[in-house]
Amino acid sequence: MDFTISTYAWIIPLFPFVSFLILLVLGRQMKGIASTISIFAMLLATVSALLLLGETLKNEAQSYTSSVFNWLDIGDFSISFGYEVNNVNVLMLVIVTVVSLLVNVFSKGYMADDERMTVFYSYISLFTFSMLMLVISDNILQLYIFWELVGLCSFLLIGFWYQKKEAKAAAKKAFIVTRIGDIGLFIAVILLFWYMPEHMLSFTAIHNAFETNAHGFSDGMVTLVALLIFVGAVGKSGQFPLHTWLPDAMEGPTPISALIHAATMVAAGVFLVAKTYDIFLASETALLIVGTVGAFTALFAALIAIAQNDIKRILAYSTVSQLGYMMLALGLGTMAAYSAAMLHLFTHAFFKALLFLGAGSIIYALHHEQNILKMGGIGKSMKVTTWTFAIGTLALAGIFPLSGFWSKDAILAQAYEHQPVFFAAALIGVFLTAFYMSRLFFLVFTGDNRSGHTPKESPWVMTLPLIILAVLAVCAGWVAIPGIGTFNEWLVGETMEEKIHWSILIISNVVALLGIGLGYKMFRNKTASSLHEQSGNGLQTVLARKFYIDELYDLIVVKPVRGLGAFLQLWDEFIVGGLVKGSITTTRQIGKMGMRLQSGQMQVYALISVIGMLILLLIFAGRRLI
Amino acid sequence: MLNSYLLLSASLFCIGLYGALSKKNAVIVLLSIELMLNAANVNIIAFSKYGINPSLTGHVFSLFSMTVAAAEVAVGIAILIMLYRNRGISDVTKMDVLKK
Amino acid sequence: MSGQFIFFMLFSVTAIGGAIMMLNMERIMYMIASAAVTFLSLAGIYVLLHAEFLAFVQILIYAGAITILMIFGIVLTKHEEKREEPKRRFYHISLFAGVVGLFAVFYYVINQSAFPAVTREIAQDQTKEIGLLIYSQYVIPFELVSILLTIALIGAIIIAKREGK
Repeated sequence: MDFTISTYAWIIPLFPFVSFLILLVLGRQMKGIASTISIFAMLLATVSALLLLGETLKNEAQSYTSSVFNWLDIGDFSISFGYEVNNVNVLMLVIVTVVSLLVNVFSKGYMADDERMTVFYSYISLFTFSMLMLVISDNILQLYIFWELVGLCSFLLIGFWYQKKEAKAAAKKAFIVTRIGDIGLFIAVILLFWYMPEHMLSFTAIHNAFETNAHGFSDGMVTLVALLIFVGAVGKSGQFPLHTWLPDAMEGPTPISALIHAATMVAAGVFLVAKTYDIFLASETALLIVGTVGAFTALFAALIAIAQNDIKRILAYSTVSQLGYMMLALGLGTMAAYSAAMLHLFTHAFFKALLFLGAGSIIYALHHEQNILKMGGIGKSMKVTTWTFAIGTLALAGIFPLSGFWSKDAILAQAYEHQPVFFAAALIGVFLTAFYMSRLFFLVFTGDNRSGHTPKESPWVMTLPLIILAVLAVCAGWVAIPGIGTFNEWLVGETMEEKIHWSILIISNVVALLGIGLGYKMFRNKTASSLHEQSGNGLQTVLARKFYIDELYDLIVVKPVRGLGAFLQLWDEFIVGGLVKGSITTTRQIGKMGMRLQSGQMQVYALISVIGMLILLLIFAGRRLI
Repeated sequence: MLNSYLLLSASLFCIGLYGALSKKNAVIVLLSIELMLNAANVNIIAFSKYGINPSLTGHVFSLFSMTVAAAEVAVGIAILIMLYRNRGISDVTKMDVLKK
Repeated sequence: MSGQFIFFMLFSVTAIGGAIMMLNMERIMYMIASAAVTFLSLAGIYVLLHAEFLAFVQILIYAGAITILMIFGIVLTKHEEKREEPKRRFYHISLFAGVVGLFAVFYYVINQSAFPAVTREIAQDQTKEIGLLIYSQYVIPFELVSILLTIALIGAIIIAKREGK
């Protein structure tokens, strides 16, 4: 038997896990080298992941599944812990390890003066471990476990600066909102367990069952399961209507936003849908809903992004919007669209991480100023950041020949072929994306310096990841150049006929350029005074308030729940608490009665025994008489 | 005639019991207990003269009980003195450390 | 009305009277004196019961030794002579009821029982007979009692002598 790396794929997640353990146990003593440990572990993981990628590329690798050990035996049914290596998983492994490594390096600079750096790195290690385990899980239950673990890490890292009230609130919000989605996923897992032949939960079994139509589901049940899984994905990937947590999650440290809330964890939702795609393919309705939600989110979030002023929030809404694109593609229900979605996931991870890290670099230079209206003119003093950020912006906007162009184009082409409505939405989305990104770019990098700080270029640990990511942002899309790239065949494992839509290529480029041009015209070289004249008209206010979604939720969810909570609290305090207190008082009174008997007075004891003896005598005498 | 002695003994016993349970002074309590023992002795000796089988055994027995009573008083007084010395009390109602 | 009955009445009245006096006296010394009267009367009762040796022992041990020991006890533990506060009214009522009830039971039982009237004279030379009994039939209990007395003696000394450190 040949030596194959894929049989050892389970080692990859162990590197960050070991790093997590070391930092957890020895963290306090080794403050100085915490980052080194974490970076080193991540480097090992990245190298192994790349080796694995090389192998899968070479021998068109067969997917490899293995259960490592049986976790639970229930009757004749057992849940195993295992891992699966196929092309989709390997792709995700590479994305996660590479981005995680770069973010680790970047954090060394960004978090340098933070007291709790060790804790930060241990969280990141734990997150990377969980994310990698999630990616290589071979069954849906195991995936669910790590799904929750990444959610936990996200919570911990958003609330990392828990001294800030907003960070605390944002962490709670993220946890609770994604919980809604998680419950959907959980119910889906239970339903799968219930209806799958032999209660198999592994992805292979799901794939086989749905491919051969040998599953025990009725049509309605398939739709239900698919939609419940999708609810989980909506929560994690910040799709409408559960998107509200993602922009708030930007309260966390910026590298975390890049790692968790742009490149990896939020993509887990898309990844989940992709993993269980066979279930979705079996239900037309589910696919349509996925696509609709995706298209709507893509447009909706892009609209909101236009009116935001916080640099990270713009990027967050942009993330929501781009995840919407992936969902849109998945909703089209063809394998080509599926691979287009994965491609976009792949490219988006890099350029969005690049944008976030770039934003981090800017924020670092401006002493934690995040409002783009108070920036400006940075381009002159921060050359590396500026150029890499520009590349990220162009990639996100989808300008030829950067990576975002190819992936977005693949999605557009598929949408055009199958759902013209989605295509229209996506095209408008392209325009909006280009517009808000150019607004961001020109406001930050050109014009007067409105920040009151003199920006200085960040240290090399921060710029190096930017450069690497910029290279990736340029090149990542080339694996799938229509007619040349072999990404689709590699990913899906079958050759598919591809039509090259030159018109779409050109249209999307033109639309993106239009967006950038408009942004350039409106926001280039703004001075401090000209900005303040911007008075909000009606539409802008609505956008700035994010379509009042948060307010709406507050009204229809938070307030009633609060009311119910208050009622329950009163109930608990007076009814339940009253019962408890009543029983306490009763017990105490009985105890006191007993205590009074135990007075310690010998004479009283003697008297009691005398009286007792008397009673006994009387009883015996009475019995004699009767 | 036996009944009279028994009634005498019963009265003394009850008075002694009342004293033992109502007095606060530990010495008087001891004294009351002695009174009860004496009442028992009276009983024994009365039976040894007027009982079904009169003999001297009753005398010997009450002799023993007097001895035991003497020993009891000696130890009791010693304990009382000790208690008084250590805790400063001679009032039985305050001797309630068992409670704690 | 035999002379024996007169003496019985006399001694029993003084015994009970002494006992009641003991409970009702104000001062502790008087209490002990009343108890001594009771013990002496009981010695008289013993004489009436033809137990001359026991009467002697009674006077020696009770009226002598134990009363003196009690006086020592009183002297060595100081007594503030306070009137008993009437706090424990319920206790005293139930105590009184209990004691009276007990006496009623005794009285009832004694009156109910019929004892055969045997009047057999036991040995004339009592002291000698008791001595013979103690050293023959009851020698083991006698030795045990002597050990008990020794232990009580030593124990009492040790307990009372241990100084508070």
